[in-house]
Amino acid sequence: MVKEMLTGNYAAAWGARLSEVDYVPAFPITPQTEIIETLSQWINDGEMNAKFTNMDSEHSMITAAGTASATGARVFAATSSQGLLYGYEMLYNVTGWRVPLVLVNVSRGLSAPITLEPDHNDVLSARDSGFIQIHAETCQEVLDTILMAYRIAEDERVLLPVLINMDGFYLSFTRESVEIPDKDAVSRFLPEYNPKHAFFKASNPMSQGVAVLGGSVYSYFKYQVHLASLNALTVHNEVAVDFKRIFGRSYSAIEAFRMDDADYVIIMSNSFAVKGKSAVNKFREMGLKVGLLRLRLIRPFPYKELRRLLSGKRAVAVIDQNISPGAGGILFNYITTALYHEPDRPEAILSFIGGLGGKDISHTEFNHIVGEMGKSIEIGVVPETQLLYTKGDLEQINNLLNIAGKTSEGVERLRN
Amino acid sequence: MIKRIRFHGRGGQGMKTASRIVGTASFLEGFFAQDSPLYGAERRGAPMVAFTRLSKETILERGIIVSPDINMIADETLLGDKSANVLQGTWEGTITIINTHYPASHVKDTHGIVGEIVTLDITEIALNVIGEPVLSSAAAAVVCKLTGVITKSSLENAVIKELSSLNLKKETIQKNVQAALTCFDRIPEAHPRYRKPIKEAVNDEIVKLEYANPRIGTPSVYAKETTKLKKTGNWRLFRPVIDHEKCSRCRTCFVYCPHSCISIDEGDYPQIDYNNCKGCLTCFYECPKKVISKDREVKAW
Amino acid sequence: MSVKSVVYKKFKDISKDEHISPGTALCAGCGGLLALRLAYKVLGKNVVIVNAAGCFTLLSVYPYSPFSSSWMYTAMACAPAGAQGIRDALDILIKKGKLKSEENLKVVVLTGDGTANDIGLQSTSAAIYRGLDFYYFCYDNEAYSNTGFQMSSATPYGSRTSTSLPGEINPQGTAQKKKDLFEIWRAHKPPYLATVSPSDPVDLSNKFEKASKFKGPKLFIALSPCPPGWSFDSTNSVNIARLAVQTGIWPLKEAVYGEVKHTVIPKFKPVEEYLGTQNRYAHLFNPVKQVDVINNIKKDVEQYWKRYLEV
Repeated sequence: MVKEMLTGNYAAAWGARLSEVDYVPAFPITPQTEIIETLSQWINDGEMNAKFTNMDSEHSMITAAGTASATGARVFAATSSQGLLYGYEMLYNVTGWRVPLVLVNVSRGLSAPITLEPDHNDVLSARDSGFIQIHAETCQEVLDTILMAYRIAEDERVLLPVLINMDGFYLSFTRESVEIPDKDAVSRFLPEYNPKHAFFKASNPMSQGVAVLGGSVYSYFKYQVHLASLNALTVHNEVAVDFKRIFGRSYSAIEAFRMDDADYVIIMSNSFAVKGKSAVNKFREMGLKVGLLRLRLIRPFPYKELRRLLSGKRAVAVIDQNISPGAGGILFNYITTALYHEPDRPEAILSFIGGLGGKDISHTEFNHIVGEMGKSIEIGVVPETQLLYTKGDLEQINNLLNIAGKTSEGVERLRN
Repeated sequence: MIKRIRFHGRGGQGMKTASRIVGTASFLEGFFAQDSPLYGAERRGAPMVAFTRLSKETILERGIIVSPDINMIADETLLGDKSANVLQGTWEGTITIINTHYPASHVKDTHGIVGEIVTLDITEIALNVIGEPVLSSAAAAVVCKLTGVITKSSLENAVIKELSSLNLKKETIQKNVQAALTCFDRIPEAHPRYRKPIKEAVNDEIVKLEYANPRIGTPSVYAKETTKLKKTGNWRLFRPVIDHEKCSRCRTCFVYCPHSCISIDEGDYPQIDYNNCKGCLTCFYECPKKVISKDREVKAW
Repeated sequence: MSVKSVVYKKFKDISKDEHISPGTALCAGCGGLLALRLAYKVLGKNVVIVNAAGCFTLLSVYPYSPFSSSWMYTAMACAPAGAQGIRDALDILIKKGKLKSEENLKVVVLTGDGTANDIGLQSTSAAIYRGLDFYYFCYDNEAYSNTGFQMSSATPYGSRTSTSLPGEINPQGTAQKKKDLFEIWRAHKPPYLATVSPSDPVDLSNKFEKASKFKGPKLFIALSPCPPGWSFDSTNSVNIARLAVQTGIWPLKEAVYGEVKHTVIPKFKPVEEYLGTQNRYAHLFNPVKQVDVINNIKKDVEQYWKRYLEV
């Protein structure tokens, strides 16, 4: 066991390496590229006994990942943003094939307008595909989650691919101290993949991904994906126990931060949760009973656990780092669904959109959120979805609008 | 009043068009009407089904017709094809029409069909009048007559309208009209029937689907070479027959059979798998000695 | 590199073993199925087919399989990428000792012409570029037949499809000329590339046999007469394929590392003999004969062969 300063991308590559993956099909996209560059180098140098193939698109990459997994290999791939969407069709295919590959998504806002920094519309667009989804907060968690992901994916109660999310820039290009587990410890935790349901070999022909006709056949197989995903809740928790025993670090479906006596709860996900934790610490210093939940397991969605954690709280504020135009925050809906039948549910559940395209969420925003929670309880009216956008942000965009010749002032300047 | 009509045929016979002709004829007659085909994966030669509904009120139904008032079976061999399930939901109130040269009584007894049966050799009429085994107009005409509520002129207009939309030649359309009117006249008026209330639907129940190990719960197939269980031999309109006395054992028929239905026996003679031969007749056409004949398939079932 | 392996001389040389069982959902008289069946006889049973969406998707519909070997249904654009994944996985599993080498399989991509020429061209080009050791079998029925015969970029000039109907603006039907997929593929200089026709089983068998000697991409375009789409009687598939070859419309050829050789020199029957067998060309003859269009088709055939016969 060694500790090193690693970026999230490098940590992801280490996760794949320690999992002794057989195959890495690859296609570059910022901010993910460092993962495949690193793996390419290790494989080329003989440090990893795996096959690396440069593919022609993410659509081809996810296909090759899926068919290699269907052949019986342990497969790792990584993508981001537009890449995930370009391969979108195949996400549903590989879950239907029930192949246990692991795919890392490095979150990045979706075009148009094209941008580089993260929000979660990319990864959440895959939420109905059948992939297990785990969202990481730190570089360490990225590495650890990859090891856990193969255990979950290859479990016969699941046999679904896993999508692991890390934020572009905030994790992908950020170095922090990461413990790289021993190979021996990893082999005690993660046994070799031994496919029993899907493989290709001369002595045992099989047809995979076969077309079906008729709703009852389709429903049967489709619902199996749902049941398998639900099983992943139990399997995740079992795997987490094993992981803690061997590596000492503990992961749960939802991370609870200073929740014990909290009256007000902020819900976040991914790397920006650290900003929320910092805000919670400040509120606590002020004597405000604020806690934070970080959603780690997005699929299957941990409804029961969420309900248990939020029962008896006064107010909840969900910060969605994504936007479903015309509806609001995506995760907000699942959280309200979880609480509907809870008799002791919070009096107010507020929806905020923040961090789109990597926009910072500062203490100003957290102050506003906690203020809004208090006000909602006080007056008994819950506000509609709000965008966390400051005066400073507005000034900045106004300057840019001027330069772009989109304001009367700007147009005037262009004339002169 | 709602009349539910189900059409059974094989891909290429024209039952989708038949359902549309009846739909359009009903529409022209002033009824609310609805028609829809159900496509499977199968194509030309494979069983298919189409539906038409007509009513005096807005139709609050869609999709498959489980229990038809009129059941058109345009291909008699479908009666022997379990997967086609052409008699599903038929009851005492159903009029079943079968395209066959057999009399109704024979078919009724052979298949234990309930309700009224009308038989007519529609293929024969199509071959004579149109010159091809295309049954759409003729079959639609039989159905229209048996509804008791569609007039000859609506039928004629519907045939012209539907076939024109398929870009058929005027001459072909005229022949179809002729075939349709011939059939319309050939079929006696249906008895004005009192439609008994539908017998209580079989009460199915909701079950809880359990997780299955992915060896079971995935759409993969472990068994090999199982399509032969489908017995596509009932697609045949004509049966190729090899005259083994004159066969030169050149293997042309074997090599050119697209469907792997001709094998070479121990004596080096070709043998046809009639369970599955679809009757494409490539062998009949390609045989250099012309020792393969084709027989009209009338007793496939 | 010279490879001599002409082992098929007559019909009796063609294997009696079948690898696609009867009873599939494909149309009676499907020319593409015949070509695949004949190819399979040479490929043998240790094969995994990687299929793209198309008519042949319906070869295996749950719970049935016609094969004695394996099958993977991918999606329309990406069968060659699927083949890459399987090939790579087999290679690494064998290398790592996780799979015995006798468990190895030949990887065969199966797609229609729409996939090969349009939506799947990128992934095909990439697979050839990477030198993937695989077979590519394109059944070319010259349209999107599975969806009811719409125009693809393999649809020939002057033919009718449901999205290139002859009418006032385009009396000839399809206005574009068929994309030259053979030349597009040849530009990649794959080890082996050939056209085949179900009318010429001996030629087809020899080509698959010859291809087996090469490692890398081995690509085939099979003329696939389509009874419902081309609109002819199902008895006629082989005959129409034969006429395509004999008129010179469908050249039978191969290219080894890009060097082209024609394996059959046609008799140059008049193209009308071919066109007249199919209703997709009926508008060229009725109600008035579109002499210009027919002449254009003739000219293209003449120019094509002139170039090769001079060489």
